[in-house]
Amino acid sequence: MKSYLSYFKLKFINGLQYRAQAIAGIITQFFFGFVYISIYVAFYESGSADLPMELSELISYIWLSQSLFSLIYLWYKDKEIINMIKNGNIAYELLRPQDLYLMWCHKILGDRLSKVVLRFSPIIIVALILPKPYNLNLTSNLLINGIFIVAMILSSILMTMLVVLYHVLCLFTLDEKGIINIFMVTADILSGMTIPIPFFPKFMQNISNILPFRYISDFPFRFYVGNISINEGIISILIQIIWIIILFVIGKLLMNKALKKAVIQGG
Amino acid sequence: MSLYFKYFKVHLKCELEYKMSFIMSFISQFFVFFGYYFTIICLFDKFSNIKGFSLYEVLLTFGIIQFGVSFCETFFRGIDTFDELIVEGSFDRLLLRPRNILLQVFCDKLSVIRISRVLQAIIVLIIALINIDVNWNIEKVMTLIFMILSSIFIFLGMFILAASYCFYTIKGLEIRNVLTDGSKNMAQYPIGIFKKGFVMFFTFIIPFGFVNYYPLLYLIGRETNKIFIFSPLITIIYLIPSILIFYLGMKRYTSAGS
Repeated sequence: MKSYLSYFKLKFINGLQYRAQAIAGIITQFFFGFVYISIYVAFYESGSADLPMELSELISYIWLSQSLFSLIYLWYKDKEIINMIKNGNIAYELLRPQDLYLMWCHKILGDRLSKVVLRFSPIIIVALILPKPYNLNLTSNLLINGIFIVAMILSSILMTMLVVLYHVLCLFTLDEKGIINIFMVTADILSGMTIPIPFFPKFMQNISNILPFRYISDFPFRFYVGNISINEGIISILIQIIWIIILFVIGKLLMNKALKKAVIQGG
Repeated sequence: MSLYFKYFKVHLKCELEYKMSFIMSFISQFFVFFGYYFTIICLFDKFSNIKGFSLYEVLLTFGIIQFGVSFCETFFRGIDTFDELIVEGSFDRLLLRPRNILLQVFCDKLSVIRISRVLQAIIVLIIALINIDVNWNIEKVMTLIFMILSSIFIFLGMFILAASYCFYTIKGLEIRNVLTDGSKNMAQYPIGIFKKGFVMFFTFIIPFGFVNYYPLLYLIGRETNKIFIFSPLITIIYLIPSILIFYLGMKRYTSAGS
């Protein structure tokens, strides 16, 4: 266990080094948040009868997703792991007396956490002091805050499981583009990153409800802004846990299968 | 021109070597950018209009921008990834050849796969044009052609400008992606829907407004002044200084690699 944690720490500390990249990231996230909000404001000013979310809820949703973007977006490829698969260096990894699956989990989570640590607070602070209606509204309800934190922890684990799953699939395809890209973009849309789930057409909402993706970003953020009730929130947390277990088992089994007939590319 | 086509053929052959991978990437490119249109369709499912613009009018402005950017990324890929050329030092190699330098940069990398995005943009444009409420006549067709051309001009200009920046900094600047991608994202909508400041920005600083907003007003009959037909051509004025700056930057280029 200790050795896995040190992978996590290694990646985490390494990720913290890239400060210039973080500044660029913050500006990007901030700018994009502003772009999205401008578009939604224009839509809301045009008016419509029944809207699934209030404008203030939607704006807080956008700021939360922008500030936590580097933790929860699903379009993520770990260059190091992909390269290892492609050039055959994965053979060295297999020689280590550790479980490759858990190692990848720790590496990816460490990398993602280091990124979000650097980017999170500046965006939140600026979003808080913006003039109405562009600002982020925090809630003082302790229960909601508590559940939100639990949900975020679970969603970052769920994110890790999914991202590791892509990389395991790469073991089969030996190509990180093609089918993997299709998988990633579907996951990204269904997680509510491009647009919150309530705006989806009805049948798409039904699809996204039975899949794990929306529990990564759509659920925690909409819960925080008050679009999801506390009861539903607690149920959703249980669903998150179930999905984590399912994805863990699938990933692990696939990995074992892949490694059994792994052909090392190159020498 | 014939030189360009030769390069194009080589790159195409090169990518077709891996047939399965080519097909898969082709499909996946198509999918990836579907996300953009998905957002629009979702939003218009809930809202009937955006400040008076209908779904198909927005799809038209969207399609025009997507066409321009994907066209440039496909056929002028080399200029988009210019910083790699500089960092690797392979720009020196191009300088030695007795051909137009910009043309060579364009040809250096071609991403044939991205044609699927161009196709996608064309499909969206066709859907928008079939459903849009316009009384077509010669002038309006001209406006539309100008719009499409100007979309290519503006992105080409932006890419060249960004590339000339590499002469000074060696490394490409990440901030430029923020500016180009972010503003591109906004300009996909008719810019009139945004607050005054943005309209000014997209008229005078990055003239996206002339690509798809002012001519659109003429197309759908909100403006009748004939000047609007030619408004997209203003983007040429943007392209010329970009090219000049590129050559100016090249004068002070010192090699970075071996």
